Amino acid sequence: MATAEELKASLMDFEENYNANPKLKTMNRDWNRKVRVKATDVEVEYGLDLKDGVVRFLEQPPAEPDLVVASDGETLTSMFYGEVSPSEPYMDGTLKVTGSEEDLIRLDFVTAMIWG
Amino acid sequence: MKTVVSVSLGSSSRDHTAEVEWLGQRLSISRRGTDGDFKRAVQVLQELDGRVDAIGLGGIDVYLYVGGKRYVIGDGLKLLQAVKQTPVVDGSGVKNTLERDAVRHLARAGLLTPSTRVLLVSSLDRFGMAEAMVEMGCDVTFGDLIFTLGVDYPIKTLAEVEELAEKYKSRMEKLPFTFFYPTGSQQDKAPTVNPAFARYYGEADVVAGDFHFVRKFMPEAMTGKTVLTQTTTAADVEMMRRRGVKTLITTTPVLGGRSFATNVIEAALVALSGHGRADVSPEEYQDLIRRLELRPTIQSLNP
Repeated sequence: MATAEELKASLMDFEENYNANPKLKTMNRDWNRKVRVKATDVEVEYGLDLKDGVVRFLEQPPAEPDLVVASDGETLTSMFYGEVSPSEPYMDGTLKVTGSEEDLIRLDFVTAMIWG
Repeated sequence: MKTVVSVSLGSSSRDHTAEVEWLGQRLSISRRGTDGDFKRAVQVLQELDGRVDAIGLGGIDVYLYVGGKRYVIGDGLKLLQAVKQTPVVDGSGVKNTLERDAVRHLARAGLLTPSTRVLLVSSLDRFGMAEAMVEMGCDVTFGDLIFTLGVDYPIKTLAEVEELAEKYKSRMEKLPFTFFYPTGSQQDKAPTVNPAFARYYGEADVVAGDFHFVRKFMPEAMTGKTVLTQTTTAADVEMMRRRGVKTLITTTPVLGGRSFATNVIEAALVALSGHGRADVSPEEYQDLIRRLELRPTIQSLNP
């Protein structure tokens, strides 16, 4: 089971890798979304703010997110370290998504571009 | 009479039947859309298995050939594996030969030149066409990310297409095909108004590739444009005529008033070959295409 600190570290790693990828920043320059990341087992929530092609980790989750991704901490941590694609746990029901499926597919695409 | 059936995940409103005589053999060719219902598609395939001469899989690919590598579409493979006896094909064999040849034919006819600006809406599923256009020197914009994922990023090189395929291969294997491609009733929807994506049509002389992607964001103003595609119905042709498309070129022949998809043509060639199996070589396809004199169909919509 991943801890809150491990989930935070994975999100910060995601932020760093995303922002270090100029092509990804260009691709997502018009994809402005606030994402709430909710770990259901360790009861912690963080956020990501994607704006103008740049992503920013949020210690405090956004109050009005466009997309909420909720799962156990281990799954979320694996997702943001690129060990599993977001769509896999979504398809088997491990990951719950509030928001549009298109945004989840876009998030999946982003992780594919970072980690392949 | 040999029977060829294309089972498609696409809309049943696009179903069609035709009878042709090719190389002295009569063929009944039909399409059966399953409206995006994957289970129904499997059921229809199993019903047809062993009862027809060849089956085509429509509205989905099984294999993508990109830069010398083969990528598998997981959902397509599941459909392929539902058929145990009858040869079943997805059109990728014909795409790699017929469409490559079609580009060269159009070049010889002066309809594609090195200065032609092409929007190829998706290249992963027709890399042969993409390569042929680049070899000719056309200024090609590859719209794979725009049309499959809605990402406003035009790809300008084949190397970048290959990189995309490599990075996305695990998703192609695992995710539902419906994530990337319109199926069922989505195929009957009118084009979506999207100014950001419409500009890529405006910048192109020729819009090429899969018809469902070609029309996905097609703007009202298509005056003077050439569309190079396949699988167009009479209603599709009329829609393009109204929007001002000058020339419509279909890479597959028009049979009974509409152009069939490459999977249908490939299944027909497999039935003609008489092998009773799907592994017809590229050379055999080339030979059959040459003997049948299959060439692009060119229609002037707005002279």
